[in-house]
Amino acid sequence: MSARKPIELRQKSVLAGLLAAPTLFLAVFFAGPLGLMFIYSWLEPGLYGGVEWTFYDLSYGRIFGWADTRYEKFDPVYLEIFLRSVVLALQTSFFCLLICYPAAFWVSRLGERAKSLCLFLITLPFFVSLVVRLFAWVLLLRPTGLINQFLIGLGLIDTPLEIIFTETAVVIGMVYVFIPFMFLPLYASVEKLDASLIEASGDLGATRLQTFRKVVLPLTLPGIIGGSIIVFIPSLGNFIVPSLLGGAKVVMTGNLIEQQFLSARNWPFGAALGMTVMASVLLLLVVYVRLLGRDEMPAARIRSSEGG
Amino acid sequence: MFRKRIGLLAVYGIAFFAFIYAPIFLVVVYSFNANPVNMMIWSGFTLDWYRTIFGFSAATTELSLYVESTDQLLRAVRNSLIVALTTTLVSTVLGTSVALAVARFRFRLKAFYRALMFLPMIMPDIVLGIALLIFFVSFGMSLGLVSIIIGHCTFLTSYVFIVVSARLAGMDMSLEEASADLGANGWVTFRKVTLPLILPGVIGGALLAFIISMDDLVITYFISGVDSTTLPVFIYGMLRRGIKPEINAIATVMLLFSFLVASLGLYFRARGR
Repeated sequence: MSARKPIELRQKSVLAGLLAAPTLFLAVFFAGPLGLMFIYSWLEPGLYGGVEWTFYDLSYGRIFGWADTRYEKFDPVYLEIFLRSVVLALQTSFFCLLICYPAAFWVSRLGERAKSLCLFLITLPFFVSLVVRLFAWVLLLRPTGLINQFLIGLGLIDTPLEIIFTETAVVIGMVYVFIPFMFLPLYASVEKLDASLIEASGDLGATRLQTFRKVVLPLTLPGIIGGSIIVFIPSLGNFIVPSLLGGAKVVMTGNLIEQQFLSARNWPFGAALGMTVMASVLLLLVVYVRLLGRDEMPAARIRSSEGG
Repeated sequence: MFRKRIGLLAVYGIAFFAFIYAPIFLVVVYSFNANPVNMMIWSGFTLDWYRTIFGFSAATTELSLYVESTDQLLRAVRNSLIVALTTTLVSTVLGTSVALAVARFRFRLKAFYRALMFLPMIMPDIVLGIALLIFFVSFGMSLGLVSIIIGHCTFLTSYVFIVVSARLAGMDMSLEEASADLGANGWVTFRKVTLPLILPGVIGGALLAFIISMDDLVITYFISGVDSTTLPVFIYGMLRRGIKPEINAIATVMLLFSFLVASLGLYFRARGR
């Protein structure tokens, strides 16, 4: 017993050595800022930017309805924008799923070499600059862009369609950008699917639709939900896509937050909006972990399969 | 019947890849388009936009005077590289440490660390961005390269952790035990056995961190000061002011660069298996 003690002691010091720096770093620069943002969201905005260190619940009041003073009034527009962001993020998840689901089946049935090539090609855009990928869609969707020229050339339309600066453009952009996020978790589920189960279901007299609904869908559900959440989270607070493809017409919560920090300079209000986004994301994850268990944690799978 | 369904699915698969790659391809093609007014109408092959961004010639016509100065662009590239290299170094060390601790030691807070390491990745970019902005400003830290590096490390440590953990999970522990049985001390075992074995994971994680750091826009956007614009923030600024032909050329150069790094990363991953 006494012989083991020094080793254990040394092990403890090694463990402490490994964890000290990362713990300190994350405590100060990750937990710290988030905690401070929470505090900020309950402080009074100063007259010229900045904050007064007094308790103030009207930033949330402006969003959720109890602010009714001379200066701070509840305005349903913030909740509307938030709900619109939720709807756009849901649409993004839905269309990503719709596009990736058949593709995942296709890739899963290819030979080994073709399979890894396809996975490489799907991961590759993730490494390509987000701005560059969005820029490509600006080129495509503009009134003088390729899609409009093509349609005019075919004689299908006379005047260019107004696609850019609409919600449609924003959803197209987000779908395009987040496709790899959806594909990888989805593919992980689809690949695990045992083909003999589908055959068995058919042999037992189930129609295609029944097989899909009773066998394929339930078995790939973890991938479907995981992928949808992974896409939903960055879509909800997005402000880059709406600012490039939505222009001034499509405002999402992300744009609202950006404005509070960079032009309106009402940081507590921006922090309150940020807290709202963060709370919804955490709530979503808690529900998800409750439903599917921790091992299915979506980020774990997609990130590790992406990992270079 | 089955054949036909496979055929349909293959057509769909090809369309799927076309959807992913056509827009990127388009940017490359049009970076050689001579038309300075409407980038989408082909009017001949040119390398002018490349010459402009690399500073070899001023813009060819009045209409295409867009990059204010190549200096600015180069400074942004330099900033991006400094940030990405430093971030990669720091987050690789931090992330690998936690991964080793969680995989090789038994301690009470293990589950806590596992959950903690996922949080920065799950956090929406914009939330982390504004939180860091508030933090730096209220503690009087000036915004610049240092604040960007710190900001990137907060979430990239997680990425490295995930990649290295995956590598450690698939590793045979008996080799380390054998090394210890043969009388090597902990440090020697780590250097001679553990480190070479996890190296592909560490390099993979580092490359991932590098490329994400190079490309990060949202967090950098909030915490970069006036003089410390990175390349993505610079291009985002250009795009917001208007679409100019040489953005195609810049985008193509960036594409080339990311394809290179990504291929390198995937090569290491394949070799690590």
